[in-house]
Formats: sequence, C-alpha cells, structure tokens
Amino acid sequence: MSLASGGLDLGSYLTWLARRQEVVASNIANADTPGYRTRDVGMPGDFSSVFAQFTPVVEEAQGLVTRNDGNNVSIDRESRLLAENDIRFNLATQLLKDKIKGIRSAIEEGRSS
Amino acid sequence: MSLFGSISVSASGMEAQRIRAELIAENMANADTTRTPNGGPYRRKDAVFTTAPVQNSFAGTLAEFNAGGTQGVTVSSVTVDQSDPERRYLPGHPDADADGYVAFPKINPAEEMVDLMGASRGYEANVAAISTVKDMIGRSLELFK
Repeated sequence: MSLASGGLDLGSYLTWLARRQEVVASNIANADTPGYRTRDVGMPGDFSSVFAQFTPVVEEAQGLVTRNDGNNVSIDRESRLLAENDIRFNLATQLLKDKIKGIRSAIEEGRSS
Repeated sequence: MSLFGSISVSASGMEAQRIRAELIAENMANADTTRTPNGGPYRRKDAVFTTAPVQNSFAGTLAEFNAGGTQGVTVSSVTVDQSDPERRYLPGHPDADADGYVAFPKINPAEEMVDLMGASRGYEANVAAISTVKDMIGRSLELFK
C-alpha cells in the first residue's frame, strides 16, 4: 500500500491546492493595482486526469469584468476560492491522515489504533 | 513555493494598504494646512500600487518566474497632486496674498473617507487570506499526529 493508492495522488493534489491558494492571495493583494489581471490555476478538467499527477498551470482567469483602471480582480470570486480551497484542503488532509493511520497500524502489526 | 509564500504575498498586500491608509490620514490631517517647508499649501498625496515579486532569494525568484502567477504588491511611488490649490477669501489671514485670498489644499473629505474605506477593506481581505492559509498549514502539520 502506498500513499497514492487508489490512483488518487493526494500529495500532488495538496500541492495544487497550495499553489492555487498562493495565486488567490496574489489576486487579493493586487485587488487595487491598476492594470493587474486576475490569475488562476488550471483545474483538472475531466475526471480521468484526477487520477494522474496534478501539474498546476497558472493562466489568466476568463470572463471577468475589467474596471476603468484595467484591473479585473473580483473580491467576491477570490473570497469564494479562498473558502473553497480551505474546504478542499481539509478534505484532502483528512483522507491522507487516514491513509497514514493505516500504514502506521500495519507497521505496528495492528497492535495500536 | 509553498503555503508560506502566500503569507508573504498577503503581507505585501497588507503593507501596501497600510501605507495607503497612512497617506489618507496625512491628507485629512493637513486638509487646512497653508504652510509647508516647500512653500505654499499642503498638496494631496496618493499611493501608486505596482505588482512586485515577494521572493528575495535567487532560487525563489527563479521558481516564481518559471511558475508565473504569484506576485505581491508594493507602493512604487507616491504621487503629489499638482493641481491648483483652492483659493478662499480671508483678508485677515497671515498667508493671504495681496488680494486677500489664501491658498488652501484641494482635499475633499468625502473622497478621502471613501478611499480610507477601500484601504481598510483591502487590508481585511489580506488578513482573511493569511488566516485561511495559517489554518491550512496547521492542518498539514497535524498529518502525522
């Protein structure tokens, strides 16, 4: 049994989430910077790619309204992503924790936990 | 880069918004100042925000360049309002000119207050981002407990 069992690589999912959180933090910090364009980390589009490695690709977010100063950061969108990432991270760490627990139990020959 | 990188990015946002709020406070405090060391009335100041990398190590900057995307913010310059000051008729004033007019700073308190609210909300948003990331780091530390 490995940490990537079941095909889902939780480690790289966490990396992807951390990268996304970084981009969201960058968008929030630049919410008042003239000419700044909102960035986003590409979401694995189809379900099959969820089982492959996540490679975070930063791109410009589409479909946002540009203000007069050339900035298109929507603070509502960013707060939603902030909350969403937090929940996703919570879920992924919980799953990983359970897996680690399983491995530990095997190491200790099932005596503990 | 890691989750700690996001904290630096948000901290740069907090710093920029704080400088902006400081300038607004300065503008409001000097709304009626008619004398300055450079002569003439006080002139309104405003912060100019520019994106800036938050990494100061070479490796960090290189990683950022390769990955793209995360940029902090910095106050690149402070603009000083160069428009004509407001002239008020106050003949008894020590700074009055020959016609009895005194040059006052062109500062609109309503405009400054709205700007201050913007700075305060921006600061709050960055604080919220930091606390979320802090929770995430905390949870990843608990993985091996």
